[in-house]
Amino acid sequence: MHRLDRLFEKSSRSLAQRTSRRGFLGLLGQALTGSLLLPLLPIDRVHRTAAAATPQPAGAAAAGGATKPGHGAAIDDPHSCEYWKYCAIDGFLCSCCGGSSHSCPPGTAMSPITWIGTCHHPGDGRDYLVSYNDCCGKTSCGNCECNRNEREKPLYRLSRNNDVNWCMANSDSNYHCSVSVILGLAEQ
Amino acid sequence: MRSYQSRAAWLALLACGCATAAEPLQPEQFTVETLPPRSPHWVYIVDDAFSNEIDARVRLFDGDSYRHLGQIDAGFSPGVTLSPDGTTAAVVTTYFARGGHGARTDVVEFTATATLELSAEIVLPPKHAQAPPSYFNLAYSSDGRFLYVAYITPAMSFGVLDPVNRKVLGEIDTAGCALVIASGGNRVSSLCDSGRLLTVTLDDQGLEASRALSDVFFDADRDPVFVQGVPTDTGYAFLSFLGQVHEVDFSGPQPVIHPPWSLLSPAEQGHWRPGGAQVAAIHRRLGRLYVPMHRGGEGSHKAGGTEIWVFDLGTHRRIARWPLKPLRFGPAIAVQVSQDAAPVLFAAAENAEVAVFDALTGRLRHVEKHLGETPWFFMNP
Repeated sequence: MHRLDRLFEKSSRSLAQRTSRRGFLGLLGQALTGSLLLPLLPIDRVHRTAAAATPQPAGAAAAGGATKPGHGAAIDDPHSCEYWKYCAIDGFLCSCCGGSSHSCPPGTAMSPITWIGTCHHPGDGRDYLVSYNDCCGKTSCGNCECNRNEREKPLYRLSRNNDVNWCMANSDSNYHCSVSVILGLAEQ
Repeated sequence: MRSYQSRAAWLALLACGCATAAEPLQPEQFTVETLPPRSPHWVYIVDDAFSNEIDARVRLFDGDSYRHLGQIDAGFSPGVTLSPDGTTAAVVTTYFARGGHGARTDVVEFTATATLELSAEIVLPPKHAQAPPSYFNLAYSSDGRFLYVAYITPAMSFGVLDPVNRKVLGEIDTAGCALVIASGGNRVSSLCDSGRLLTVTLDDQGLEASRALSDVFFDADRDPVFVQGVPTDTGYAFLSFLGQVHEVDFSGPQPVIHPPWSLLSPAEQGHWRPGGAQVAAIHRRLGRLYVPMHRGGEGSHKAGGTEIWVFDLGTHRRIARWPLKPLRFGPAIAVQVSQDAAPVLFAAAENAEVAVFDALTGRLRHVEKHLGETPWFFMNP
């Protein structure tokens, strides 16, 4: 498992370095990352019911979590917990800690393992697959704590859980902050 | 006017004279306090110190005197449990060699509850589940012979320890099922994504003797159960996101799952939900279940309760609703109830206030401001 993770981490990092984030190939690579990571996670599939988690339309989300989805500018502000991409993030926003919504602060390390969510972008009306990664190796940033949990699941469904420390497999496993990286469009 | 001035002058003289005539303060003796005898109204509060996560701690608080009695250090993302006889608190945690960074050491540390002094430790493989506190991150067998540690790397397994001889005995793979629900002298159950319980039975050496899966009792897609099980007389009650109560009897060789019942009337379904970090508490002898409830929907399962609902476990009927807003407290994200005949109910709020209620009437007795930073889990002594 570890060897597979490391191999995949190496190949996906190398892909990220060789491609433009804005380019189509970059987007495709990220989407592949998300879809390939999911089957790697050690979740119990033997007896799992056939129905996969059915994402609800984000418009149907009622009062949610410690911070409710808001309206207006906050939905487009990566420094706000109400930013659309943060629909299931639980931790400190890296955008308030020297990073951005999809990059780690200087001197920290990206977590190679992660969990995947689906967020609705009100700007274009589409649902996106996002990967929630932690940034690791320094102690808690402490800024902009954000706790939203749309479609989040308990620890036994680890691939959809935001409670566990996703820095756990890093050589320096202290948790610093969290990002939300667009992987691609969610299946309709 | 003159009479007033003269009276004031006399009073000032008198006060001055008294002060000089009083005995000087005695030298003090610098000592270490000892704990009074254990009270059922004490509570251990696990504070994850989330903004400074390497410095979690367990605070011992008295629900009668409202005093902070002492502290156990708890490192990074700890799990905490008490030995069956209550004499030892065990904390599984991670320390980094250079404070916020450096080599990771996972360890179980043992503290004598009578003195709050560290008494022993067992160093572990660096695998302990760095997840919010529950009864199932770390758990003793009923006879205290084994201690089980939940591992997530992210592969899921658990460690079997010998707390008496301070040894790691082994590791048992749980095939994607999470956490350690200890029962009897040699059984460990874990919650599975499939909605089942995996139960591993150990032999005398702490090695796996057999394993079995229960029937499906919840649907992780439609209505998952919280992992924060609540102790009952014979096992644990698991609440679901939508307000179902699944009581599981762990007293026999395999768990027996009772038919679920709902916290909600048909009119309340879809509107009210349980939620938070410690989602319910049970007074076992009185058969009362206390649940912080909120109006919510998809994704609100970590929201605290704006009311505490009280249920009779025998009849499944709600017997009280205690709104918190009129008390200027809450929402409540964690609850615990003492197990004595005059019980107190503890509730923690997101702003780190801890309220103490009379658990029979709901009368608010006290609100302690800023009891740590993130009090997420209470344990009875």
